Amino acid sequence: MSIEAAGDRSLYWRVQLGRNHGARGLFAVVVLFLLLYAYLFPGLLTVEGFSKFSQTWFPLALTAMAQALLMLTGGISLAIGATVSLGAVIAAVTMTQTFGVAGGIAAVLATGLAVGALSGFVVVRLRLPAIIVTLASSFIIGGAALLVLPRPGGAIPPWFSTLLAGDTPVALGLLALIVLAWKLYLATPLGLTIYAAGENPVGAFRSGAPLDAARISAFAISGALSTLAGLFIAAQTGSGDPVIGQAFTLNSIAAAVLGGVGFLGGQGSMRGALAGSLLLAVMINVMFFLGLPPVAQYIAQGLIIVGAVALPHLAGRWRSA
Amino acid sequence: MPKSSKLSILATVSAVCLGLALSLSAGSAEAASKCIKGDRKAPFTLGWANIYSVPTWMKQTQGTIEQEVDELKKQGLVSKLVVTDAQGNANTQIQQIQSMIDSNIDAILVDAGSATALNRVIADACAKGIAVINFDSLIDGEDLTAKIDTDQQEWGKQAAEWMVSTLGGKGNIIVLNGPAGISVSDDRRKGAEPVLKAHPDIKILAETNTAYNVAPAQEAVTNLLFNNPQIDGVLSFGGALSAGALLAMDRQGRDFVPITGENYRQFLELWKQHDLKGWATMQPNWLGALAAYAAVQALSGKDVPAFVKVPLPVIDNASLGGYLDRASTFPADGYIYSTYDQALFEKLLAQK
Repeated sequence: MSIEAAGDRSLYWRVQLGRNHGARGLFAVVVLFLLLYAYLFPGLLTVEGFSKFSQTWFPLALTAMAQALLMLTGGISLAIGATVSLGAVIAAVTMTQTFGVAGGIAAVLATGLAVGALSGFVVVRLRLPAIIVTLASSFIIGGAALLVLPRPGGAIPPWFSTLLAGDTPVALGLLALIVLAWKLYLATPLGLTIYAAGENPVGAFRSGAPLDAARISAFAISGALSTLAGLFIAAQTGSGDPVIGQAFTLNSIAAAVLGGVGFLGGQGSMRGALAGSLLLAVMINVMFFLGLPPVAQYIAQGLIIVGAVALPHLAGRWRSA
Repeated sequence: MPKSSKLSILATVSAVCLGLALSLSAGSAEAASKCIKGDRKAPFTLGWANIYSVPTWMKQTQGTIEQEVDELKKQGLVSKLVVTDAQGNANTQIQQIQSMIDSNIDAILVDAGSATALNRVIADACAKGIAVINFDSLIDGEDLTAKIDTDQQEWGKQAAEWMVSTLGGKGNIIVLNGPAGISVSDDRRKGAEPVLKAHPDIKILAETNTAYNVAPAQEAVTNLLFNNPQIDGVLSFGGALSAGALLAMDRQGRDFVPITGENYRQFLELWKQHDLKGWATMQPNWLGALAAYAAVQALSGKDVPAFVKVPLPVIDNASLGGYLDRASTFPADGYIYSTYDQALFEKLLAQK
């Protein structure tokens, strides 16, 4: 190994650790909650229990990634929820019809890429604010979902449901693959440009980085992650519902912000967003097993979120003081 | 006799015995309600998987459940009620029902946030011997102990029939629906369709979809009033929608027209105040109490029908006063429901 390569490697780890810096407090909180959950519900440590929990987390994890990806480039999407619904209804109407499971997956994936790329194109090329464009597209996409399936229905082949959402951790395996793919994507020119587009777009443009392409791709990938979340929900529930995704818009933003992803772009990491989504998911179960009544749950939820965001800041201030 | 053949006889005999035992237990399982395995003993822990606890209708429903549970506690049948709130998110509701299964609860009462999303998790609960009673907003699946509901399509049909006959089969109406993509709202509208089709002289000027809340309905109807100078009737499929419509008409100084609706207190009061021609039915809040009662009945080994159809109580100009007499015991933005007790529940559960 040459000296330069060794230098590169240590720089790589320094950058990685640096990115963890802001999220360390969150990681600690997440681990604490997971331990608490396992203590309250020992069944979590069985394959079945662990699989079921990871399945409740999976769609939120995907949408948190979808949102974080856009926020890293300095964008945002209010259409995540509608896109999840669209993915779910397309899966539910295609898979038991002529398309079959493979065709259904392809249709869902293609729809997500197309819908995302189209929004991205309007935002990037027409230089319109992402928040307005995606607000508008959320109505269009939501309407399209209602056109595809006016009321809950459709079906997913039972074997496919069991494969993805049975008593095995297939969903978690898929998440690992997607995270790996994200790592690889970050090493490509488009992926490298993502942080630059959010942090210093002018500098990136002057150094010849493919800024527009990177941002449009980010929208396309974000759309695909959202429709895949919808596909998973359809498999998990065995059918499609045209409004099932609604809550994911706000929750995906909450997860990303909780994970340290900044609204102004270039700040934060995917692992932070994933940890944020994991906290939101595990929190619901912990509160159930603690036996908190719903009103207390609302308050506890708010306190946990504020606490998880404030802790790292406070810790940082104590260290510097 | 060689040892091996002795063994085989023994095996055959025991196999026959096992078969007999299995068929016997299968027979007794048929007599009990669906999902019930008979291994759970009173007092039971009940879970109430609420889709969204904030709307007043839900708060009132939770009130009837709690009241019924208190009664069942006194009878030594229930030990605890666990309540969850999915905050309107069907995915969270799946997660919370999963947690109820994980905690090995005895019964789950569920008002579904989605007609399809809960199918698999509810089937899982049923397979574990948990009594699952689904009421109000139903799921499409069959793997549960019982569904309890009024007939939403019948609701739409009766409302449309009243409107047609009140208008003498001719006139311009507007139609107010609940949110799009929600099965309850969809079913009420669907029930009205054949009646409206059969009377082509009843013309639908416009149709809206809004949440079951006064403010959005009022806003939507205000817009419709501007665009349609001649409206002869308001076919509304929700109480808050009707109240919103009346407020919008009042604000614009329009003449009040015949209107349908639901047992929403504000609507009933406006109806009385303006001396309108009105018709209303209800989704009684005590469906929740009935669900708790049915769960305990099923767990105690009684046969609960797979579908409990609750008749639609009708409020018209004649019976309106009786409901309004009790208005003060209900919240201002609540629903004035008909009275109930365990004797009524017995009767409803006995129907085949």
